[in-house]
Amino acid sequence: MKFSLDNIDGRLVGIARLEGRLDARNSKPFQKTFLEWLEKTPLLVFDCTLLEFIDTSGLGAIVGCLRKALEKEGDLRLAGLNDKVSMVFEMTQAKRLFSIFANQSDAASSFAGEPNPGTA
Amino acid sequence: MTITETSQIGIAILSLNGTLDALSAPDFRNNRSVIDPEKSVVIDMENLDFIDSSGIGAIVGASRQKRQPVGGIILSCMNDRVRKVFEITNAQKLFHIFDDTIAAVDFAATRQSARA
Amino acid sequence: MKTILAFREEEYAWVHEAFPCIHPLLLPLCNKPFIEFLIDFAIIADSSSLRLLCDGGFDAVERYCENGSRWGIDLSYGSIHPDDTIHAMLGKNRKFCGEERIMIISGFSFIRYDKRLNYKSLANTMAAGEWATCPGGRITLSGMPGKTPAHWVDAPLSLMPLDGMASYYRASMEALESGADRYVLPGYGDEPGCAFGRNVVISKSVEIRKPVSIGNNVQLLADTVIGPSAIIGSNVIIDRKSSVESSIVFDNTYIGEHLKINGRIASGNRLNDPKSGASIAMEDPHLLSGIKKKGVLRSFPRKFTHAVAALVMIAVLFIPFVILRSLLKLRGQWKSARTDFLSEATGMTMSLGKVELSTASSLTSIAAALSMDRYGWLFRVLTGQLALIGSKPLPAEKNRLEITRSALSYRPGVFSYAEAEEWPSSDGDATGGDAAIVERFHIAHSTPLSDISLIIKAFVNRFQEKSIL
Repeated sequence: MKFSLDNIDGRLVGIARLEGRLDARNSKPFQKTFLEWLEKTPLLVFDCTLLEFIDTSGLGAIVGCLRKALEKEGDLRLAGLNDKVSMVFEMTQAKRLFSIFANQSDAASSFAGEPNPGTA
Repeated sequence: MTITETSQIGIAILSLNGTLDALSAPDFRNNRSVIDPEKSVVIDMENLDFIDSSGIGAIVGASRQKRQPVGGIILSCMNDRVRKVFEITNAQKLFHIFDDTIAAVDFAATRQSARA
Repeated sequence: MKTILAFREEEYAWVHEAFPCIHPLLLPLCNKPFIEFLIDFAIIADSSSLRLLCDGGFDAVERYCENGSRWGIDLSYGSIHPDDTIHAMLGKNRKFCGEERIMIISGFSFIRYDKRLNYKSLANTMAAGEWATCPGGRITLSGMPGKTPAHWVDAPLSLMPLDGMASYYRASMEALESGADRYVLPGYGDEPGCAFGRNVVISKSVEIRKPVSIGNNVQLLADTVIGPSAIIGSNVIIDRKSSVESSIVFDNTYIGEHLKINGRIASGNRLNDPKSGASIAMEDPHLLSGIKKKGVLRSFPRKFTHAVAALVMIAVLFIPFVILRSLLKLRGQWKSARTDFLSEATGMTMSLGKVELSTASSLTSIAAALSMDRYGWLFRVLTGQLALIGSKPLPAEKNRLEITRSALSYRPGVFSYAEAEEWPSSDGDATGGDAAIVERFHIAHSTPLSDISLIIKAFVNRFQEKSIL
């Protein structure tokens, strides 16, 4: 997983690229890593282009991440879900909780023009 | 098992009667028309009651000896039991199978003349 | 009039990949197997004798349709080659055809017809030739037409190719929406657009929106929403607060709580998107899972005998194995590597150690004669992963599809039936090899007792073969 920070219109947006599988085996460490990212900025994008498979614990982890980002008055947005992963989000109705974008740059630039967290 | 051999327009017709298994397979395998790589053979199975893996093996082996493996041995008039064995073993793919011996002979004859 | 139904494996190969558990000709369209739509049409067109032709296996179809007496017709079966023309098909079935008029329905396509219309006079009186056609499918008439009746009524007929999940989905929805007016569809219902099978349990708060078709033994738990446009197969459970809309749920499927299935095909633990063709296998059984049929008990006697026989072999060969292996390892003639092989369950693989006895010496030939190279595999019989005798295990990378096609006829074993019968083995070839023929024969006909005698035969054959070397 790669994590990078990007400056979008004066706001710091964290972009994480998820890769491979997110399931019961790696969802716990994933949530820990997420806390480190969250300390840098509460505005986050998960680029899921390379995410192949997700199960309920992976889904639970991502929903948990969203909740933590919202607690910090930020947001977690998703980008580039493939057909398979998208079906899981749809079926479990987790899709409604997220803003989902076609690609990573759309998702990142969507933070532009929104009030800065903490300053609002 | 008994094998009755007749011939029509240069095509050998072997009528099998009884059971084709490990015991009777050699009879079939050593039949002169079966051995001849040039001869087209129609096997009439109307009175063949039973066939096992050795029997199938003998027929498959015979077709391998023919110059044209798919057209050299042609099968006709299988009953359901024999047909099911061919199907289960997927050996039906190796043969042209007719429900009528005369139609099978016609087919073999056109094949042979096309080749000549 | 008589009808020939002809299919080629190539036309429905996609079904094997998408729904490996179902024979393509039995693929349900609105809870009715595909083949039955064709049989119905043949009957409406006045056929009383049908012959089903295919270039692949149709064991499952034959078990389902039997001799056709259920529909009051004669149904028989035959095989063709992929490149047979209609003329060749008629020749191969000359006895069946006789002098009668023949309708040939070929190709894997859905026939749009209306059961209320009169296809009988059309089929009997139209000139020989093509009646309807679409890419991949056609209806052809052959033989002398009868006299044109005084009242000529046209009856529309068209074909729709079933060439993938998308067209299958469309055809199913079409059958559901046109409902029992046009086709003979299963299920009971007081009102149109609502068909229920036997033993359907519907909780109080379930909401049903027409049109729906529901199979037998279905449980719809509290607060589920079914429809509009839902086709639910048999032995299905839909758990609390879930909704199924514009979707097909196959037989033996469990759908978990709080789920929303819209525009999907669910089969077992697999969720498919008919539009994009995407397919995902769920690993959480509480989301989506297959409901297992009771097939375990049937294979129990075989598994048990094999395990016992394997245990005996493990015990008897233990001392020679320990001695020979350590000796050969010291001399560097015992090499082992792990390879992935296909396991009996469709689409699964298992990793097996493969021993190579390099360079011929008296010691290696003793080891080979005693089948020491297979010793490790014997333990896999105890765990049920291998049979003691069955097919030769196939390497995983090859012929994956071929195996799913002939799922019933592959059962990897320590020894293979071909070895018992001394058939020439063909390396890893799933269909073409002659050895596969004998393996399929025995897998279909094996009993625990015959297996034991064949195990002994295989062991002795290997013994003789290797000790000559």
